[in-house]
Amino acid sequence: MDLNLHVEERTILKRIDWNFVWVILALNLVGLINLYSATHGPHSADVEPLFVNQIIWLVVGWSVFFITTFIDYQIVNRVALFIYILNLGAIVFTTFFGTVALGAQRWIDLGFFRYQPSETMKLALIMLMAKFLQHRSTDGPGMGVKQLLFPLLILGIPFVFIVEQPDLGTALMIAAIGGTMILFMKIRRWILAAVIGAGIVAAPIAWNYVLRDYQKNRIINFLSPTNDPRGSGYNSIQSKIAVGSGRFLGKGFRKGTQSQLEFLPERHTDFIYSVLSEEHGLIGSLTTLGLFCVLFLVGIRIASSAREKFGALLTVGILCYVFWHMFINMGMVIGLLPIVGVPLPLLSYGGSSMLTTMAGLGLVSSVAYRRYIF
Amino acid sequence: MSQDFISNPDESKEFLPRYRLFYLAIAFTFITFSMRLWFLQVIQGNELREFSEKNRLKQNKINAPRGLLLDRDGKILVENQAGFEAILSPQYIEDTEDVADIIGPILGIEPEKLVAKIQKSRRQNGPFAQVKIKDNLSRDEVFRLKHVRLETPGLEIRESIVRHYPLIEDGAQLFGYVGEISKKQLPIYNQLYKNQISFEQGDIIGKNGLEEVLEKDIRGVDGIQFLQVDAYGREANTQTPNIYGEKVHDQEPVSGSNVILTLDRDIQEAAWNSYKAQQRIGAVVAMKANGEVLSWISTPSFDPNQFSANLNATYWNQLINDPFKPLRNKVIQDYYSPGSTFKAFMAVTALQEKVITPTTIVNCPGALRFGKRLYHDSKKEGHGNITVFEALERSSNIFFFKMGISLGIDKMHNYISQLGIGTKTGIELPREVAGLMPSAAWKKAAMGEEWQPGENLSTAIGQGFVQATPLQMAVAYNTIGLEGKMFRPFIIKKIVDNSGKVVRETQPTLVKDLTQTQSNGIHIDVETFKVVKEGLRRVANGDRGTAKFLKIPGVQMAGKTGTSQVMGFSADQIYQSCMSRPIHQRHHGWFVAWAPADKPEITVAALAEHSCHGNTGAGPVVRDIIRAYYEKYHPEIIAEAIRTAKGPKPKPAEIPAVVHESEDE
Repeated sequence: MDLNLHVEERTILKRIDWNFVWVILALNLVGLINLYSATHGPHSADVEPLFVNQIIWLVVGWSVFFITTFIDYQIVNRVALFIYILNLGAIVFTTFFGTVALGAQRWIDLGFFRYQPSETMKLALIMLMAKFLQHRSTDGPGMGVKQLLFPLLILGIPFVFIVEQPDLGTALMIAAIGGTMILFMKIRRWILAAVIGAGIVAAPIAWNYVLRDYQKNRIINFLSPTNDPRGSGYNSIQSKIAVGSGRFLGKGFRKGTQSQLEFLPERHTDFIYSVLSEEHGLIGSLTTLGLFCVLFLVGIRIASSAREKFGALLTVGILCYVFWHMFINMGMVIGLLPIVGVPLPLLSYGGSSMLTTMAGLGLVSSVAYRRYIF
Repeated sequence: MSQDFISNPDESKEFLPRYRLFYLAIAFTFITFSMRLWFLQVIQGNELREFSEKNRLKQNKINAPRGLLLDRDGKILVENQAGFEAILSPQYIEDTEDVADIIGPILGIEPEKLVAKIQKSRRQNGPFAQVKIKDNLSRDEVFRLKHVRLETPGLEIRESIVRHYPLIEDGAQLFGYVGEISKKQLPIYNQLYKNQISFEQGDIIGKNGLEEVLEKDIRGVDGIQFLQVDAYGREANTQTPNIYGEKVHDQEPVSGSNVILTLDRDIQEAAWNSYKAQQRIGAVVAMKANGEVLSWISTPSFDPNQFSANLNATYWNQLINDPFKPLRNKVIQDYYSPGSTFKAFMAVTALQEKVITPTTIVNCPGALRFGKRLYHDSKKEGHGNITVFEALERSSNIFFFKMGISLGIDKMHNYISQLGIGTKTGIELPREVAGLMPSAAWKKAAMGEEWQPGENLSTAIGQGFVQATPLQMAVAYNTIGLEGKMFRPFIIKKIVDNSGKVVRETQPTLVKDLTQTQSNGIHIDVETFKVVKEGLRRVANGDRGTAKFLKIPGVQMAGKTGTSQVMGFSADQIYQSCMSRPIHQRHHGWFVAWAPADKPEITVAALAEHSCHGNTGAGPVVRDIIRAYYEKYHPEIIAEAIRTAKGPKPKPAEIPAVVHESEDE
C-alpha cells in the first residue's frame, strides 16, 4: 500500500503538462503587473480594490484549473448537454430580466458577483460541439447539409439570444469558436463556397436591419477614424497612439501617459494590451504575443496526442476560444480591427473572463493528464 | 476504469493533418501583428510618442450660464457673475504634499487639509476626477496661482460662473440657491429629466425655490471646449500638429432662458425694509387681485450667495440649528392657526347659512358658559349687543362662539374649505403644505375620536385644529374682496429663451367663482360678501376697529387682525402677559388685508411670529407694502390725500406703543 501510494504521487505530478502550466502562469504574471499599472495612478501608493479582486479571481481560477485537471474530462462528455441547456436558460433569463449595463443586458446580479451567462456559454458550446463532432470523421469529403444541421442549431440558438441582449461582440465570438470547430471537422467544399457567397449577400442586409447604430459607428470609424475623433473613433486613435508611443523599449512601468491619463477608456479591461504596449514597447508587446503563440503550440501538441477524438476536439475548441479572443482584442488595440468589447484572456480585468478561461485551460490540462492513462 | 475508455487510443490521430490549419493561423497572426507593431512602434514610434507627450486633446466642460430671474419691470433679481476657481487634477500631481505646500498658503488653506481633500477624492472618485480647491478666487489669488502654475502640474485656474443674488437675504427662500448635485440626487434627477437633461457629478443645480422648479428652463446647455494639453495636463502650444485634423470644434454653451416673475422688486424691497426695521420673524406675501405675487418674504433669512461659493460649514450649521428656521419658506411651507383672521370666514358661513342676517343683534357678554367651561372674550366686560359688523370690527369672540355653536363643524368645513383652507394653492413652488380645515369625518379618520361640541368654539375663532399658510390666507381674503372670484396665485410670468422667443407665459387663472354652486353643493351670495367686506373695512377704518391706526392717506384698506396661539388654549393667560413671556411662548400676530376696500387691487397677508399682536406685529408691514404699491402705481392718490390732509388737521398716523385695549382674541 505504502509503495503504491508513493508511485501514484509521482505520476500525478509527472502527468501534468508543465510547459502548459508555465506558459499560462507567465501570461498571468504579465497580466498582473500590467493591471497594477493600469489601475493605479502614477504616484498612487494605495492598492486599488480592482487589483485585489483580480488576485482573488486568479487564485480561484488556478484552483478551478487544477480541480479540472484531475477530473476525468470524459465526465464532460456526459454532462455537456445538461450544462448547455442550463446555460441557455440563463441566457434567455438575462435577455429578458438581466441587469442593464452600458445599454445591454448581460449580467445576472448574484450580489457578490455579476454572472455573465454569455461568457460561460462559450465553454458550454465547445463541450457540446465536441461531444457531437467526435462521432464524425475527417476522412472523406467532410460534413454535408444533414450532418451540419445539429451543430448549426446549437450554435444558432444562443447566438440569436445574445444578439438580442444586445451583445454582438460575444455573439460573433460564439459563432467564430463554433464555426472554427465545424470547419476543423471538415465540411464539403461546395457548402464552404455557398457560405462565403451567402455572407457577401447577407452583409448589406445585416448592415441595414440587424446592426445597431453604435455598432455601425464602430465599423465606420474603423474604416475612417478621423471621421469622429471625439466619438467612437476616439478609442481607436488613442489606442494606436498609446501602442505606437511605446516605441522599442516602452515608457516604463507605470509611466505610460496615454494609459495613466484619461485618454484610454476601459484601459483595465478591453484596452489592457495598449497599456502594456505603451509601457513596455515592442519588446513587451512581442513577448506577450509570443507567449500566446507558445500557449497555442503547446495546446496543439496536447490535442494531437489526446487519447480520443473527444479530448482532441475539446482542446481544439478551447484553443479557438483563447485564440479568437486574443486575435480580436489585439487586432482592435493595434488598429487592425474595429472596436469590439472583447477582453484579452488572462490579461484583462474581470472575473467572468478569468474563470471561464482558467476552467477551459483546465480541461485542456485534463486532456494532457489523461493521455498517460490506459 | 470507466467504460468511456474503451475507445481506440489512436482514434484522434486522424486529426493530425487538420492541425496544419492552426499552425497556419498562428503563423499568420504572429507575423501580421508583429509587422503592425513594428510599424506603429518603430516606424511611426517617434511621431506617435510626440503626439502622446505633447499633443493631446482634452475635453473641458463649459458650464452654461443659468437664466436670469427678473422682476415684472425687468429689474434683476438673480444674476450671474464671472469668477475664477482653482481646480486640481490628482492624476497629474507629482507630489501631493509639495503641491499643497505651494498652493495652500496662497489660498489660505492649511496644506494638511488640502492633502486630505485630494486623497479623499482620489479614494472616492478615482485619480481622474478633478477636485475643486476653491472658487470665487480673488484677483490676488488668481495672479499668484498663475505664477506657480508651471511648476504645479495638475493645477488649473478656470473661469466659472457664480450665481449672484443682489437682494441677498431678501426673498432668499423664494429664489432658492444653487449647489453641486449630490450623489443621492444624481440618479433621481436623471430619472426626473430623462431624455431632456443628463446630469453629471459636479453639475450645479438649483436646490430650492424657483431655482429648483425652473431647473429645466434656466439650466441651458453646457458647451465643450477642446484643449490641447501636454502629458502633465498643461495647455500645450496649439501650433503643434493636430492628429484630429480640422474637424474638432468647440461647442459653445447655450445659456438658459430668462424668467420674468410677477414680483415687483420695489415692493419686495419695501416689504423687506419694513419687516427688517421691525425685526420681525415670519412671512409676508403680497399679491395682485388676479393672483400675481408682488412680494414674498420669509424671515429670518439666509444669504444664498454663500451657497454659490463654497458653503462654509459654520454658516450651514448656524442655519440648520437656528430655531426660527431661516431655510424654510414660511409663506407656503409652514402653517399656523389663523386666529381671529378666521372670523371673516365664519361671518361668511353664518350669513350664507342664514344663522344671522346683517341686522341680527347678538348679545355678547364678557364670557360664555358652554358645557362645563367658561369661554372668555378678550374684552372682560364684553361688547354688549352687536351685529356682525361690530363683531368683525372689534373682533368679538363671544359673537363667533355663538356662530360656531349654531353652525356646527360640518357646515363650517363646507364653506371654509371652499375658500381654500386645507388645500394647496397650487403655486409653482416646491414643498407647499396644505394646512387643515377640520371636519367631524376628518377627526374620526385621523384620530379615531368623535368631534366634541366644545371644539366648535375653538374652531370658530381660528384655533384648535385649523391650520393655514400665509399664502392661503392671502388667497382667501382676496376671494372675499373679489366677492367670490378665486384666482390661483402665481409667480412665473414669462419664460423667454436666449433668442428672445417666449417659451411659456402664464395667464391669471380663475380657479372658481363661489357665487356659482360648487362641487359640494354650496354657493355664496354676492350680498353675503358685501356684508363681510363692510365689516372688514371697519376693522381698519371704524372708530373701534382693531387696526384703525394702520392708515394710508387716501387709501381705505379692509382686513382682519388675528393672533395665533402658540401655547394651549386658556383665555386667562392670553390677554394678560403675552409680552412678558419668553419669546418662543409668545403668540403669532396676523394681519391680512386688501386695498382699496371696495374692490381689491392688492392683497397682503402677514404673519409675525411671537409678536403677540396682529395689529402692531403684522399690521405695519402690510400697511407699508400697500403704501409702497400706491406710491408706485397710484402716486396721485397719495399726493392728493396728503395735500388735503395738510390743511385742517395735520395728524400723522402713529402707531401707539401699547394697544392692548383693542387687542383681539
